[in-house]
Amino acid sequence: MSRLLAKLLFNSILLLSLISLAACGENSDETNTSDSGEISGKVTMWTASLSGEPFDSYFSDIEKGFEKKYSDVDVIIEDIPQEQMEQKVLTSLTGSEVPDLVNLNPLYVANIAGQGGLLDLTDLIDEKTKDSFVEGPFKAGINDDSLYALPWYLTTTVTWYNNEHFEQAGIEELPTTLDGIYETAKKISDKTGKASYYPVINDGNVIMQKMVSLANGDPIVKDGKAVFEDNQAILKYFETMQKMYEEGLIPQEAAEGSIQSGQELYMGGNISFLEGGVTFLGPVESGAPNIYKTSKSGPPLVSEDAPINVDVMNFAIPSKTKNQEAAVELLKYITNAENQLEFAKIAGTVLPSTKDSLDDSYFKEAGDSPKAQGMMQASKALERAEVLIPPTENSADVREATKNIFVQNLQGELSSEEALSQLAEEWTKSFEETGEDVTF
Amino acid sequence: MQVNQLSKRIWIYALMLLVAVTTVGPFLLTLFISLKSPGEGIYDGFLPANPSLINFVEAFERANFGSYFINTIIVSAIAIPLNLFFCSLAAYPLARMEFKGRSFALVLIISTMMVPFQLFMAPLFQLAGELGLHNTHVGLVIMQVSTAFGIFLMRQAFLRIPKELEESAYLDGANKFQVWYKVALPLVKPTLITLAIFTFMETWGDYLWPLINTTDSSMYTLSIGLAQLSQNFDGANLKLVSAGSILTVIPTLLIFIWLQKYFISGVTEGSVKG
Repeated sequence: MSRLLAKLLFNSILLLSLISLAACGENSDETNTSDSGEISGKVTMWTASLSGEPFDSYFSDIEKGFEKKYSDVDVIIEDIPQEQMEQKVLTSLTGSEVPDLVNLNPLYVANIAGQGGLLDLTDLIDEKTKDSFVEGPFKAGINDDSLYALPWYLTTTVTWYNNEHFEQAGIEELPTTLDGIYETAKKISDKTGKASYYPVINDGNVIMQKMVSLANGDPIVKDGKAVFEDNQAILKYFETMQKMYEEGLIPQEAAEGSIQSGQELYMGGNISFLEGGVTFLGPVESGAPNIYKTSKSGPPLVSEDAPINVDVMNFAIPSKTKNQEAAVELLKYITNAENQLEFAKIAGTVLPSTKDSLDDSYFKEAGDSPKAQGMMQASKALERAEVLIPPTENSADVREATKNIFVQNLQGELSSEEALSQLAEEWTKSFEETGEDVTF
Repeated sequence: MQVNQLSKRIWIYALMLLVAVTTVGPFLLTLFISLKSPGEGIYDGFLPANPSLINFVEAFERANFGSYFINTIIVSAIAIPLNLFFCSLAAYPLARMEFKGRSFALVLIISTMMVPFQLFMAPLFQLAGELGLHNTHVGLVIMQVSTAFGIFLMRQAFLRIPKELEESAYLDGANKFQVWYKVALPLVKPTLITLAIFTFMETWGDYLWPLINTTDSSMYTLSIGLAQLSQNFDGANLKLVSAGSILTVIPTLLIFIWLQKYFISGVTEGSVKG
């Protein structure tokens, strides 16, 4: 035992010495801009949840392509799990090892930019580049009139349905009205004996988007005050969801409301249709191959002229970047039409955000697979897609209130009028607290 | 009387079965999902119709498990001896030596267990950066090098040793350091092993700190690889995630099975005297 302890002691001391050595040997070859004006040095880019093939090869090509264009630049690309990206970027900003380009969603952009963590790109990106993007997604990178991010890939909402169930119930078209959703769900449930429709809630954001979509042009928040209480379409939506839940057309799991629960129910054949992003079918393809084969996609379940939400993934530059010039060039490079089109092709389920890449024939002839069909639906929907909810400081509070009150409405704990009244009150209170006079 | 005894036994067994099902059930379900072949749906039945190991092979490749596995082994191998050494060294005076502020020091150490990691994550990241510990194996384990829980566990174990043993060692001419490692430490071997298991489990499953402290993905550990699998761009492939989870948990299970007799005695030993 004592020999073992002596060894233990020795090893511990050795390791401590190694710590000191590591401290002395800290890498100091940071970035520079060459005297000739050519960009040079190291530039680090963080992507969000894009590891493994086909993405590794794609980013390897991006790296090589950029290094060929700028021979003095060393590009380093690392992948970070998406859910921890914001935390990791914020933590890195407290130290000296900050990435030069990061892949963020608009909420993360708003939060990090709000804390002074992102570089203002307004004057660093030329007008031609700015004009190359689709307008709605481009606006997702603007906060307080300053541009903090450029859009990269997009997803929009489409409706996914189990065609076998639809055929059994004799339904040929997806509904576009609330009465239509009810009738469709009822017919299918009568045939299958199961619930059929699943309203995705997530953290409340999907319901908020739905409300804007249903309002169809009328603002639901005006100068920081909720004004949707008297909106008949939103009231009807709340009433219809409550009725469908009560009648068992919506499963009880809907009270939890996550897209993952919806996915599990869909994979098990326990629901027949729901609205989701273009990437919805990924887990279905691997987890329920038979359901995947019978899956079809269609436009969102709202009227054909209603706006629908677009989810944007951006690239932004942290304010503490040590190689601003290279970061800006890499940002323009990774988001240019050619590279975006290539990314959309290898990913298979997302859309690019540049006008030129969207014009490519690929989006009209993507193939017959359920995934490819979904992507084509999404590209059609992009014509009326925009970021429906602007990122705000109180975003988390408003979403939470929306989820809680919507679930109470769903379960019949509140009448739909009461639910809307309470929700409006909560939203207005929250906007007053943060002093945001937004309109959407 | 006999009927009463029998019914009592049935209830006990039913309860034990329920606990076993709730604890082992999810693990078995994960195992069965991981064994399902590509053409089989995860909800097509409880047991895999055509068991296949293909998900394990794919998860291993997709999540770069090979190099992440080696990183995790290295960090565990660093963390365990360091934690045992520093915790037992800190715990011994807290249990056996009289000095001013001993109780205060103990309370201070234990109170650090109440502070959420997120609160000191940023300063720790800065400090690790200044020490050159980002992207190093040593940097990945600084959270486990000396833990308040380990100090407390070891102190409780040292308190159980009869003082006479140490006193006779002092009479034989041993100094305090010799008494610590020649007399006290051998007597708390089960607790040391328990702490080693706890440290292993903590290090093996640690996620947030290794992720925050690394900016080079070649330094990632298994838990980050698993997160990459489950937070995949177009949703998680549950068969791969299940296979990855099983691969990750196997070493912990094996070590626990190997050392469980010490583990149980070590835990109870520490809990007898407060």
